[in-house]
Amino acid sequence: MEQERNGQRRSVQYQNLLRLIGDLRPDAEIDGPQLRASRMRSIVNCHRLVEAYKERSRVAYVSEQFPTEIAFAFEAIPWNIESMSNMLAQSADVNRILQLTEEQNLSRDICSFLRGPYGMMLANCYPRPNVVLTNNQPCEGLSKLIYISGKRYSVPILPLHTPDTIDEDSLRYLVKQMQYLISQLEGEFGVELAPDSLRAAVEHSNQAREYFSETIRLLETHKLAGVSRELHEIFGMNYFGAKQNAQICKVLFEEALELAKGEEKKGKRVMWIGQAPEESHELLQYMNRVVDIVYWAPLWEANALVLDEDEPLRSMAHRAILYHWNAERMRVDTLRMCETFGIEGFVISNVWGCRNMMGINPMLRDLAASRKLKYLTINIDLVDRNNYTFNHIKNRVDAFLELMQ
Amino acid sequence: MITAGIDVGSLSTKAALMNETWEVIGFDLVLTGGSNRTATELTYENVLGKAGLTRNDIGFVVTTGYGRENVPFADKHISEITCHAIGMHLLNPEIRTILEIGGQDSKAIRIDEAGNVESFAMNDKCAAGCGRFLEVTAKAMGLELTDLGEVSALSQNTVRISSTCTVFAETEVVSLVAVGTPIPDIVKAVHNSIATRAISLLRTVGISGPLGMSGGVALNRGVVRALEEALGMKVFVADNPQVRGAIGAAFIGQRLS
Repeated sequence: MEQERNGQRRSVQYQNLLRLIGDLRPDAEIDGPQLRASRMRSIVNCHRLVEAYKERSRVAYVSEQFPTEIAFAFEAIPWNIESMSNMLAQSADVNRILQLTEEQNLSRDICSFLRGPYGMMLANCYPRPNVVLTNNQPCEGLSKLIYISGKRYSVPILPLHTPDTIDEDSLRYLVKQMQYLISQLEGEFGVELAPDSLRAAVEHSNQAREYFSETIRLLETHKLAGVSRELHEIFGMNYFGAKQNAQICKVLFEEALELAKGEEKKGKRVMWIGQAPEESHELLQYMNRVVDIVYWAPLWEANALVLDEDEPLRSMAHRAILYHWNAERMRVDTLRMCETFGIEGFVISNVWGCRNMMGINPMLRDLAASRKLKYLTINIDLVDRNNYTFNHIKNRVDAFLELMQ
Repeated sequence: MITAGIDVGSLSTKAALMNETWEVIGFDLVLTGGSNRTATELTYENVLGKAGLTRNDIGFVVTTGYGRENVPFADKHISEITCHAIGMHLLNPEIRTILEIGGQDSKAIRIDEAGNVESFAMNDKCAAGCGRFLEVTAKAMGLELTDLGEVSALSQNTVRISSTCTVFAETEVVSLVAVGTPIPDIVKAVHNSIATRAISLLRTVGISGPLGMSGGVALNRGVVRALEEALGMKVFVADNPQVRGAIGAAFIGQRLS
């Protein structure tokens, strides 16, 4: 065990990561100027990365939409194992990582968003966690991966079971679980959670969400180049609870406000639903020249929920249930987005093997048909280049863009 | 003004000429082979020759199909989804749903009363259910592609072939031939397999109103019969269905020029 621990030293893992992405990452070319908020986010991410690999740091692996305010209250660094896949997609050596998973008999048919993080663990590139925090996932594969990661590093796995319905019983049930999870974390980190720590994390989260929501409101009336993408990145980063995140959201709002005074971006507005490639991806570059893409996930109602500073766990529970994929709620919410943001088309993106997106596809297509929206369904692989080439989908992308012109 | 539409497909390259009264004054088809540029030049010269015209007589050229961007003399290139929609609409304005099965892909297209595309769906990941699928299975049975329709009409028994993969289906066909399954039954099974995939695509976009079929596979009566039986409705097949995309392109040329 001790030998394994030595092999899992974070300084070694950091060097492994640098070798993988530092030297090999190709230059990304993005049309148009980069937002200040994006540069700021990159710096924050770099800082987070460096901190996470320090031996004394508390690192908490988290799954999507875990209430990260709890992690920040414990001064732990939340590490979303899935979002690392996007970084991987930009790495020239992604094949080596995916090959490691195949050597462990992981099928290539499994979504590359899962194979990527697993490969990173196999390559000993992720920082060893102190704890694994997870909540119910629409993606069963991710849930399993999260448990695998806890076992791999022999650290506690602390799950939250999120009910599907919003009622008093469900909220109480989830709050109790959060209280238990906090007590477990206290034991694990050897510290008692100071009420002020949680309050500060909640305040930072609310500040960030206020700017986040205000920026989204600007998108209702303006086509602002790059802003929706940045909101998408902030959403995916899920750094709510950190002071720096509030700063990023504030800067983004200020930039969006400035952009709103200028000339509006042309092109009909389409909503990108499902997994999105990284910003410099050829597909996005190609489509951005014709249409204005807004991303679905940042517009979810759950993102706008302000946490109650007196009863933060209860409002976190409420938000967690809202984040839980529920087709009926999702339909209502998506309909609201269509009406509010002037959506004229959907791009329904489905990464090969993602059953969740396949599951909601019929609902999305029905919704599009009922509103006479054009839609494009694409099955792609955003990480594994062996499973994707632009030429395979170019024909349908062109047809969709013709419909939108 | 006379316009030309050229559909550079994976298996064949088609050309059509249209005059200002939207009359098709000539069309041609050649196999694409290894060079779509050569095929384009050849079919263009052929169709011009058939109409007694030269390149100077053509006011606008629209290209479509997979090789559409590889035609240096094109004035505009448009996806074949839009071109087939228009091409079928010109032929029969009642049609609201189109099934186009080409060499390597199949498309279900729903159009409005003006021929505008409302929605579409295409096959993914595998060419099972497309022209290439028929080509491969015909070869495995030692039949000519053009004979498949007639042969399947002789079928007496129901045989099943999976519709998952072209290569696996070929293996299935070889196995069925090996155990002495009558060839007409196997051919019908192949047609049913194509119909199953096509119907799945059609249901994705929703069948609204009369259904028309274009693309080279529409020439196969067996596939059309299998579709009609499975859907319980008449499938309108265009004359020269493989050139509907080129005709649609030529018409778009009329509108743009």
